[in-house]
Amino acid sequence: MLLVQLIINGVQVGALYGLTAVGFSLIFGATKIFHFAHGASFAISAYVFYYLYAVLNLGWPISILACSIAVVLFGVTLDRYVYVPIQRSNGSFFTVFVASFGVAVVIQNLIGTVFGRGFISVSSALSKSVEVAPGLYVAPTAGIAIVIAAACFVALQLFLGRTNIGIALRALSESPALVRTFGLNPKAISTCAFALGSLLVVPAAVLTSMTSGLNAAIGGRVMLISIAATIVGGVGSLRGAACAGLLLGVAENLAVWRFDPQWSEAVTFIILFTFIVLRPSGFFGRVVTS
Amino acid sequence: MLAYVANLATLICINAILAVTLNFIMGYAGIFSLAHAVFFGVGAYVAALMALQWTDSLLLQLAFAMTVSGLLSAALALPALRVRGDYFVAASLGFQVLAVTVFSEWKSVTGGIGGLVGIPPATIAGHAFVNPMEFLGLAAVALALVVLLTRTLVRSSFGRSLKAIRDSESAALAFGKNVALIKTLSVFYSSAMCATAGVLYADYLSFINVESFTIDASTLFMAMVIVGGIGTVWGPLVGAVLLTLLPAVLTYLPFLPQTEIGSVQQMVYGLAMVLLMIFKPDGLMGIKQGEA
Amino acid sequence: MLSPRKIAVLAFSMFVSFVGQASAEDFRIGAIFPLSGANADYGDLYMGATELAVSHLNEAKALGGKLSIAYEDSQALPQQGVIAMNKLVNVEKVSYVLSAFTGVSKAISTTAMRSHTVAVNGGGVGPDLAELGEYFWNVIPLANFEVRAMAPYLVQKRGLKRVVLVYVDDPLGQSIKRELESSLPPLGGMLAEALSVPSNAQQFSGIAARVRDANPDVVYIASFGAQQSQIIKQLRDNGVTQQLASYSGFAIPAIANLPEAKGALFTTQRIDWNSEDPVTKRFTQEYQLKTKRAPTAYAANYYNAVLLFGTLASAVQKAGQPVTGENLLAKRREIGAFDLVGGRLSFEKDGTIRSAMQINEVDGGAGKVVEVVAAP
Repeated sequence: MLLVQLIINGVQVGALYGLTAVGFSLIFGATKIFHFAHGASFAISAYVFYYLYAVLNLGWPISILACSIAVVLFGVTLDRYVYVPIQRSNGSFFTVFVASFGVAVVIQNLIGTVFGRGFISVSSALSKSVEVAPGLYVAPTAGIAIVIAAACFVALQLFLGRTNIGIALRALSESPALVRTFGLNPKAISTCAFALGSLLVVPAAVLTSMTSGLNAAIGGRVMLISIAATIVGGVGSLRGAACAGLLLGVAENLAVWRFDPQWSEAVTFIILFTFIVLRPSGFFGRVVTS
Repeated sequence: MLAYVANLATLICINAILAVTLNFIMGYAGIFSLAHAVFFGVGAYVAALMALQWTDSLLLQLAFAMTVSGLLSAALALPALRVRGDYFVAASLGFQVLAVTVFSEWKSVTGGIGGLVGIPPATIAGHAFVNPMEFLGLAAVALALVVLLTRTLVRSSFGRSLKAIRDSESAALAFGKNVALIKTLSVFYSSAMCATAGVLYADYLSFINVESFTIDASTLFMAMVIVGGIGTVWGPLVGAVLLTLLPAVLTYLPFLPQTEIGSVQQMVYGLAMVLLMIFKPDGLMGIKQGEA
Repeated sequence: MLSPRKIAVLAFSMFVSFVGQASAEDFRIGAIFPLSGANADYGDLYMGATELAVSHLNEAKALGGKLSIAYEDSQALPQQGVIAMNKLVNVEKVSYVLSAFTGVSKAISTTAMRSHTVAVNGGGVGPDLAELGEYFWNVIPLANFEVRAMAPYLVQKRGLKRVVLVYVDDPLGQSIKRELESSLPPLGGMLAEALSVPSNAQQFSGIAARVRDANPDVVYIASFGAQQSQIIKQLRDNGVTQQLASYSGFAIPAIANLPEAKGALFTTQRIDWNSEDPVTKRFTQEYQLKTKRAPTAYAANYYNAVLLFGTLASAVQKAGQPVTGENLLAKRREIGAFDLVGGRLSFEKDGTIRSAMQINEVDGGAGKVVEVVAAP
């Protein structure tokens, strides 16, 4: 039973990891920008939700709406005022990465200053587990996480496959130049990518605030996992990022079964490292030329 | 007062060595490593262990620390050879996180989270470096040597090959450069030199623990290189001075609440990184495009 | 995080040090507290107590001149602690420093030893704090004593024999594990499982699953700060209904106010807040008045640390000697036992104190004392 319990915990956590990773992968794939501040988006969304829901008691519809708006604004502003100017002058990977990293550091400390550096969580009856079978405890949040992650993913696939903007996004990841010749504006499309990618952190942020809780440094942790999932899943493949996120969540929890919990975080990086060395293209990605 | 200033100056020298060695692989080899603190830690732990168990001879400590660190760098060189920039950052990040877990868990060697206490002072030929001014002299000499060595390397044909690889790997390959070997050697050099800073650090503070070797430390070193100016000689030095003094300076600003010094410090260099990348990507001491 | 009082105290402290070496009669001691970062709440707590002690000593004119404290921020990080210690010893020229947090204390102990400056810990309970040299003193009983007080109560008084330990893998956690391993079997209990967690971990559902699997009677938690609340909440959320127990780390408001922590047992130093003993009484009343908070053992310990300086320094002065670290150490050895908050506390040779312990139960308020364990 312990094993099954750990797997279920892993799937719950992995579903959320996958969703966040898909957001990052979408942005990276479409715009080629290493949006290190994606973790900061997660943190902003989570803390705004926490503040509106747990502190000001505004009820969850308003809180979720507000944190979604906040995070989309953040992503789009970052794109428009930081990434675009950089790309205009000297768009090397390095400069963009460093700027993004700088933003992440600033946001993490801003959150720490405003909300304190301790752990906080949103109390909700949903996080309390119910014994569904002897020795098997599942909380409503687990079911919610899995259902929402699946729903978001399906919705995303439909969006990318059926709508014009979605198709334009996919086109952008294939070839920006070609997009221009078809009369579309790559800048506008990349703004969409940021908006959409950032929006995808919201379910994970809200659910995480209710289950594991938050602290100011959570953006960094989320970022590492998103990067790991994107690479292991294969850059350019959203399906890959989702699967890899799931895999990482399950692996992290399964590690507790036999190993000291100290190593569960390390498991993620051992997997990442192994993939980079042995199979850099990940599960579903295209081959990477050095 | 003098001892306080000497204390800060010594830390600046140690940080400068770290910045210069990181700049070597970031600026000249184009390898963006977020794992520099790992080799700093390795150097410190080797020195501490040697001092506690065996010998307090500084030169022996340096030799061993550099060797161990250099050999370990192969673990980082491996992904560097396989993938380009953005992937490598991820790999180095993973390596850094993994290393911190190892540092915290390998208690017999590193003392775990508790760290290693009471490290005896280093000696050269029987003379123990206890006086802070003497240690400052030692650190300054070490820094000078590292800077000199690095500059010579950069100006040599090895350095030119390195820059060629940074600018265009495929072109360098086409010209018959052994890219893999050059990259591995450069990472080896950077890590080995970085370990010297670790040795100095352990002997100076007499206490080390994993908290000094985390991702926050790696971030700080990267910030020093970037703010100062990547790929230049003076850049990392300027960066090291500025960012080491920053917390001390902030404590003297009366309007800043003491509780927020740590955050403000990080926000300052985070903001500096963003603004510099937008307006002056080459950093404060940056070279204009088109120069070396 | 902004505390006007804290700013005022620090500003005054800086002002005093800027005004240069104040009159030769005045006394300055140092304090290295986490004033920023994740543990700033502790620094705030300690400062409230130390300032109170300073005001009492100055009122009583116990020393020749005025006493003030030079506060430095360690951010609870060892490296920062060393820089701070350096500044205090070399710039402020203090002979007595208050320290907090095991990691920081260990880092500054070497400087303390080499410069013959007394360093006093009132908050950390890691047993390795007993091994930092003769200039490092602890006015708080260390964790191994806490476990030794709790174990018999759990096994014999409550009949809880099977213990599972959830601990952070640092010296404190390791020592608690060792202590449980050695004290439980002779009493008829056993440590069924010991699960270590990283100090920055937030996800404990896996740990909860393993705890349930081990089927304990009681779960002992050896963590620190805000992580403790996370562990408690997630254990309860994930179906762990057993009794919880811990060391004095639970003596913080966050745990007192956590609904899931209700009923948890924890040890602290025995301090009878209602005692008629004048030192204790005065501290309890005025601390409550000044900070609007109920006093805790941590606050009492740092108050005691300052009071201890006052007692020792005035004794040294009466003997016509200068107030230096060596003389303070010698006086401490000479006098041996002191009337501080909590009663008469006596020092062991290794600079630690033995004290009576009490076992508290979390009840949503100040905690209920369920048992008193006499000093060993």
